[in-house]
Amino acid sequence: MTSLGSSSSSATEYTVRVPKNTSKKYNIMAFNAGDRVNCSTWTQARMERDMSARRIYGEEETTEGAAGSEFGKKQREEARRKKFGIVTREFKVEDQPWILKVNGKAGKRFKGLKKGGVTENASYYIFTQCPDGAFEAFPVHGWYNFTPQAKHRTLTAEEAEEEWGRRNKVVNHFSIMLQRRLREQEHGEDEGDEAEKSGKKKKKGGRGGDLCIHDLEDDLGMSSDDSDSSMGDDGENKSKVKKNTGKGAKKKKPKSSDKEALEDSDDGDYEGLEVDYMSDESSSDEEPEKGKPNKGEELPKGIDEASESEEESEEEKQNDAEEKEEEEEEEGKKTPVQIEKKKKKDSSGESDTSDDSDIEGETASALFMKKRTPPKRGGRGSAGSSRTGSRPGTPSIDSASTSNTLRAAASKLEQGKRQIQGPGTDSPAAKRLKMEPSSQSPVPSGKSTPQPPSGKSTPSSSDVQLTEEAVRRYLIRKPMTTKDLLKKFQTKRTGLSSEQTVNVLAQILKRLNPERKNINDKMHFYLTE
Amino acid sequence: MSQNTELNLTGVKQSQGMWLVKVPKYLSQQWDNAAEKGEVGKITIGKKQGKTEVHFSLDAELSALGATEEKGGLLQVPRDHPFTVHTVGGQTLAVFSQSSTDEIRLEGMVVYRAECRPVVNDNYMKLKKLQIKESTKPQRISQQLERAVTSVFKPVANHDFNVEYEKKKKSEGKMVRAERQVVLDMLFSAFEKHQYYNIKDLVDITRQPVTYLKEIMREIGTYNSKGTHKSTWELKPEYRHYHSAEEEERESA
Repeated sequence: MTSLGSSSSSATEYTVRVPKNTSKKYNIMAFNAGDRVNCSTWTQARMERDMSARRIYGEEETTEGAAGSEFGKKQREEARRKKFGIVTREFKVEDQPWILKVNGKAGKRFKGLKKGGVTENASYYIFTQCPDGAFEAFPVHGWYNFTPQAKHRTLTAEEAEEEWGRRNKVVNHFSIMLQRRLREQEHGEDEGDEAEKSGKKKKKGGRGGDLCIHDLEDDLGMSSDDSDSSMGDDGENKSKVKKNTGKGAKKKKPKSSDKEALEDSDDGDYEGLEVDYMSDESSSDEEPEKGKPNKGEELPKGIDEASESEEESEEEKQNDAEEKEEEEEEEGKKTPVQIEKKKKKDSSGESDTSDDSDIEGETASALFMKKRTPPKRGGRGSAGSSRTGSRPGTPSIDSASTSNTLRAAASKLEQGKRQIQGPGTDSPAAKRLKMEPSSQSPVPSGKSTPQPPSGKSTPSSSDVQLTEEAVRRYLIRKPMTTKDLLKKFQTKRTGLSSEQTVNVLAQILKRLNPERKNINDKMHFYLTE
Repeated sequence: MSQNTELNLTGVKQSQGMWLVKVPKYLSQQWDNAAEKGEVGKITIGKKQGKTEVHFSLDAELSALGATEEKGGLLQVPRDHPFTVHTVGGQTLAVFSQSSTDEIRLEGMVVYRAECRPVVNDNYMKLKKLQIKESTKPQRISQQLERAVTSVFKPVANHDFNVEYEKKKKSEGKMVRAERQVVLDMLFSAFEKHQYYNIKDLVDITRQPVTYLKEIMREIGTYNSKGTHKSTWELKPEYRHYHSAEEEERESA
């Protein structure tokens, strides 16, 4: 190392060596500055090639020799490929990406993709200074760009598209993943894989934190619903699934082809709705679907549920089903607005009472349509229980008595829009309700509560009335625990504080004096009329 | 398949920092021609009026070596190369090395990026001109022939290929029918290896006349006319025993 001194500049000279015997191949590992990677903080790291592309490239023989193989198959395949000019790219290990794991399992993961064209026109050299002061230059063999891999859960492509469609409506984006997680939990318990998938896809209604209805529904799982759903056999589940699919599908495009046209849809009802074409899959979680204000959908859903609940009721409690049907009839009669529906429901009620286990079709469905509105409120019938179990009933604005599903949908929408911080307020409310003493008997859905004509102008507090009528209706339809009943009468809706709700409920229950039954080690109340 | 190798992190902790230098192709070619010792030149790092300047000068020998053949040594590879040095901006660059033993080492971090620029003078321009001429030459050129191609096919009594074929046929002779049992054994052992066979392949394997072979196959096997294995023969189910490590049980006719 010679140093040249000069007056205005100082320079040091170093020799540059290019070692010849390099057995080591040097590569560049490039990180984005934004990732703030500091190699000195790494305690341990592992790196390996990502060989996942091998099965795409390498035509693997499933059966080598013996069973299933042909003599000379490989040669024939090769000849065929040559004839057609198909050129398959070789699988080069050198070009495969790297997977870098830093600091063990809990640490970061990076994927390093090879950057092409680095060595084509200019060569890169790494200059390191040796202890003797000379520089050594090593040629760079390859350049890999390393990007961190996300460990958090992301939405799938379908879900992302759905959320994109709702981007103008959804205010609280944090709830999107929360909803998804909750949904996953529920689905994982009840349904199989296919239902899960469809459930995730169909969670259109369930999403949107700003629609508080859904949040509450998610949290307010019916205590007996789980048992009911688990009790249901496979056929039931499948029918449920199908129905759910039907509901989901109907959300998007009301399938009135196979169901009676129960209602005309107004313009703009289906605006902004995404069409779901996967009608075969379904989710057991009906709540999200209900949550989605869609008048048209409710009708077909109801039909599905009707038939479904028919089956269930057959297995579980025929009486209850009948009673519910009667209830539905009553509700239907009370509905001022939709006469058509009422008529249909009445007729269905009649047919249902014929005690035909195979009642399916419009009448049953129409009936169940009504039932759906109660479930939305958390109303359950044994028939609807399994469904509602998976799909916590959306707290309908009107009580379940809103047999006018259209109105219910509208009012729900109205409610949802008014709720700005959906999940935030809802979950605490739900928790409060849950904590209330279980001595509270279930409150029947307020069938007698007056239904707002248009739904949209209804203030939320007046939608649900904690009356004896409502409690009675709930209890008649399905045995409920106090917890369940409380969920039906949420403080937001009734305008009462939790303390008041508890007291009023207790009073009502004392008056009603319902019968008790133990389901799943939980005390359920029910009435038989 | 490379194993999940532990990254040797000792290098990165020790090293003070490396330079990533972009070097023109002609220069790197010269460096490849360097002597065994590996010395290719000298680097001068100086401070001129407060600014750091890095300058690389190629060894004289290497510069002379690099002269193109056509010019007969007139053109020399430029010697002086100032380096443009700048810091690594939007990227964090690390260097890792792979040894022949599949050991991966993290050598260090890059602190400076530099580009080796030649001094633009006449010599360099001439060199570049040559390079461009080389690269623009087409890979395929058309040549003019002096004489026309005269490989006309003359009539031949018997073509070479045919002669060979007939000789081969004569030497091998006609396929003789072997004992039925022997043939059966051959077939079973063949079917042990693969499930589906073409009749032609079977003929090849067993060296038996086709009719005889077909007769035997009809006994012990079936013919697939449809399906994925189009026109192939396979053993009848009762003769088959396709399990991985089990011995095949065969029943002879």
